[in-house]
Amino acid sequence: MRKIDSNHPLLCDANPWRNNSNSIWLASTLSLNRNLEKFNFPNKLPEEKRKHILDMITPKLQASDQLKNPQVLLAHETLPIEKEFLVEHFLSSQGFHHSSKGDAFVIDETGEFLATINLRDHLTLQRIDIQEELEDTWEKLVKVEMQLKDVSYAFNPKFGFLSSDPTMSGTGLIVHIFLHLPALIYTDNLIEAVGKYKDESIELTGLQGDPNELVGDIVVFHNVYTLGLTEETILTSLRTLAAKMIIEEKTIRSRLQQNQGNDVIEIKDKVSRAFGVLMHSYQIEAIEALQAISLLKLGLDLKWIEGTTPENLNKLLFNIRRAHLLCHYSQDKISQDELLHKRAEYIHQSLKGTELLV
Amino acid sequence: MIEKKNDNSIPDRPLECSECKKAIAVRYVEIVGSVTTQTSMCADCPELQRRLYGANPKELVSNSLSDAELVCGNCGTTLENVRRGHSLGCAECYTVFSDALIQELYSLNRLPSKIITEKKSGPIHIGRTPGERLAVNLSSKLLALNESLKETLKREDYEQAALLRDQINALTHEEKSHKPELKEQTDEKN
Repeated sequence: MRKIDSNHPLLCDANPWRNNSNSIWLASTLSLNRNLEKFNFPNKLPEEKRKHILDMITPKLQASDQLKNPQVLLAHETLPIEKEFLVEHFLSSQGFHHSSKGDAFVIDETGEFLATINLRDHLTLQRIDIQEELEDTWEKLVKVEMQLKDVSYAFNPKFGFLSSDPTMSGTGLIVHIFLHLPALIYTDNLIEAVGKYKDESIELTGLQGDPNELVGDIVVFHNVYTLGLTEETILTSLRTLAAKMIIEEKTIRSRLQQNQGNDVIEIKDKVSRAFGVLMHSYQIEAIEALQAISLLKLGLDLKWIEGTTPENLNKLLFNIRRAHLLCHYSQDKISQDELLHKRAEYIHQSLKGTELLV
Repeated sequence: MIEKKNDNSIPDRPLECSECKKAIAVRYVEIVGSVTTQTSMCADCPELQRRLYGANPKELVSNSLSDAELVCGNCGTTLENVRRGHSLGCAECYTVFSDALIQELYSLNRLPSKIITEKKSGPIHIGRTPGERLAVNLSSKLLALNESLKETLKREDYEQAALLRDQINALTHEEKSHKPELKEQTDEKN
């Protein structure tokens, strides 16, 4: 097990975000929570036993042919900023800061896989998918789970796979789908669209876990129940809802593109202002930037903007967050005030050649 | 007067229900003499029950007795911990607190409603079991696309419908040509 340095190429500027051209369905994440039989859950497990679990699981993960060149990061050797980076990269809804000795992260070269060991549960396997391949991604996770030979998972016929958090028991499967829905949001149609397809088994939230603050106009749909449903039902209902939301979004986008409706002017104005903010600010907060980049993405899709690509804007969406930005400027020590300026500078560079057509 | 001695001049730190992950529903202000204590609690907080009905000594005693009885023998997690939404300590907790957990999951809306009415005593988990191989097929993808197609046709949005139809055709074609389990090998050959 070797320690990474803060400028590790595996972490900085890593796939799958580098080449993501998705316009609406940005990404999905799937995670499986598992615990080992005969051991208390991590919160009631002394450090030496947690280490024992670590020693048991990590070699098996490293030997898995499902992973490309896996690497183990011990939590106590991982800097806070690196943990923040992992949270950002894997769109994790759970913070990693409290992880300590006896805990670890396993990542691989694809940048799509993360295993956390001894955090909330003994093992959480997670994958990012940017191809709308929920079923394949789920299959890949199960393959890794099954490859950990001689490991018996804590399981109870009534509650299924057991987790230290009872709301995660059963399948232990949590699926998040990240949809970029600016047209629905700016034309005030989101609530109506969500209401129309209401599914009690799905909740929506924002990037930072607050449903009232949809940062970057990204709406995150996730399953409410892990217990009492089959994995297939969970995947199907999420996929069905996502497909419907995408159609709603596309319908409004095509209306906007044809210059129909009273709100076109207002939205053109919003996109233009966002363009101005991104191109001409001296310093900028992450949330403001995410909001503006979102509008730029919409503008590009509606052909109101040219000179940049969906890949470039998606990459920007990821790279302006704190840990990613610091990674980019890793050589220099950057203070909080400077960070805001560096962010603006980074955005100017990324958007060079971009032009507003409306 | 209830259970805290208020002879301390420093007021108690408010008990935040962030501890049990539920939204705060009640702010309980207690004024005894010159001392004011404030407590924030969620709607079904055991602390709230105690404060509201705690004045009745009988109930308080019976409550604390039954609470004291249920402790996980393996890890020491108590029923009160479970009610407050703390993490469980071990697999044994699921057996010890089985009924209480179902109640908790229900109150947190973490159980599908049909489960609650249909089967309270039997197994709730209907997903995969350990070691079970799975053959997830493409049906879920198809189902989603088909449903969206219906939706678009209803709205007479033929441009979108054509797009969806192409995706559905591609999938059904794929499904016929090779089984999903053999997908990796066939992909290589193609």
